[in-house]
Amino acid sequence: MELAFDQVAIRRGSSDIRASGHFGPGVHLVSGRVGAGKSTLAAMAAGLLIPTEGRIRREGVITSMLSFQFPEWQLTGNTLREEIRSYGGEEDDVLARAGLVGRGDDDPLSLSRGELKKLNLACIFGKTWDLLVLDEPFGALDCIRKREVCRWIEARRSSIVILCTHEQHILPRIDALWEFQDHQLISRGTIPGAFADWNLAPTALKALISRGIIPANISERDLREAACRIQD
Amino acid sequence: MIHVTDLRFGILDIPSLILPAGHIVVIGPNGSGKTTFLRLLAGMEEPVQGSILLEGKAPGETRIGWVHEFPGQNSLFIRVGEELASPLRFHHLPCEGISRKVKEIAEQVGISHLLDRDLATLSGGEQVLTALATAMVSMPRTLILDEWDSHVDALTAGMLQEQLSRIGVPFVVQCTQNIDLAAAADTVVFLSGGRVKASGPPGEVFSGCEDSCWYPPAWRCREWNLPLIR
Repeated sequence: MELAFDQVAIRRGSSDIRASGHFGPGVHLVSGRVGAGKSTLAAMAAGLLIPTEGRIRREGVITSMLSFQFPEWQLTGNTLREEIRSYGGEEDDVLARAGLVGRGDDDPLSLSRGELKKLNLACIFGKTWDLLVLDEPFGALDCIRKREVCRWIEARRSSIVILCTHEQHILPRIDALWEFQDHQLISRGTIPGAFADWNLAPTALKALISRGIIPANISERDLREAACRIQD
Repeated sequence: MIHVTDLRFGILDIPSLILPAGHIVVIGPNGSGKTTFLRLLAGMEEPVQGSILLEGKAPGETRIGWVHEFPGQNSLFIRVGEELASPLRFHHLPCEGISRKVKEIAEQVGISHLLDRDLATLSGGEQVLTALATAMVSMPRTLILDEWDSHVDALTAGMLQEQLSRIGVPFVVQCTQNIDLAAAADTVVFLSGGRVKASGPPGEVFSGCEDSCWYPPAWRCREWNLPLIR
């Protein structure tokens, strides 16, 4: 199973966003400044945008899903239950996963932005997908919910998971790292070898590396374990 | 001072809360009432019961600036300069005064070079700064920012906060999920289920949170004896 970008380019505003590379099973973190091209890449990966140059190949990818950065764009139901049904999800199960038991008959737009995000993610993680593209899944989530979503992501490593995020502290264990530089997607490689070249690495990771300590991965647990290796 | 007394509105239930001037950061779990609280402070909602007084005045009687979570989707004009001028034009102020004020605020927020640009061509960070300047142009006593940092990268968020710290508005109130940002505030309000779980200086509010994810990551790094590298 593979998603491949072959010399892909697409015009966004005044710049071209370029991407080449292969995404196999595992969690791929895509890092980049605001406006670098993360959301454009997410939309192309999910098949919602067609590149103007190059092509995107999906080998063995039958089912795919995109979680939009702004979940209100993805709403179709008038109640939480309708919304969950639109994903083919089990209503009570998804409500429980979203922490929204008792709100099933409410209008999704009556939820706070963080609650709506969690509902969207609970719907999406209620099913399995060959390719799962998550465009800023942590935006607006509180830290407790971020930790929970990290566990959901880590449980999907047999699928291709593309995770575009600005999150700095609460991250899942990942397999590969990609970074946008001047609107071009660069593969930084696998973990932990990729850390050395990661420009936008979280501050705690940078601090550890500056002390010569390389964590096994980027989750809170990995960073804590690495910090315990500091002797002084 | 901001005085909140016997407030009930939606999920919010705040018998008494007094906030001194300065940088006030509201944190809490999703659905705890942060945005509702900010909307009440801004006078965009009226409390069903109780009162909110900003320096002794109801929100509707004082000058308040509001920066929305999605500035790019809430601008009214095409050019940055027009957007900045709009609050003053809506007040029918004289033209010379408006252009002077627009220049002054643009300089203060560091966006003078953007005044002739189309808003649609700005980066995410520049759009947020334009929204900040537009909120500042009518010289608010209170500036309210609703998760303005939630869609930008860490470097951009740091730059935005630096600009914010320089603007000299007596009350700056923002809500965020960035706990490090709360740790650097003068006052933190921790809401949970519509109630104030804790409020006061960061040191007080976060003491006892050491084992939870609400503890500021930067403080944890400090305790790990790690230098902070930006």
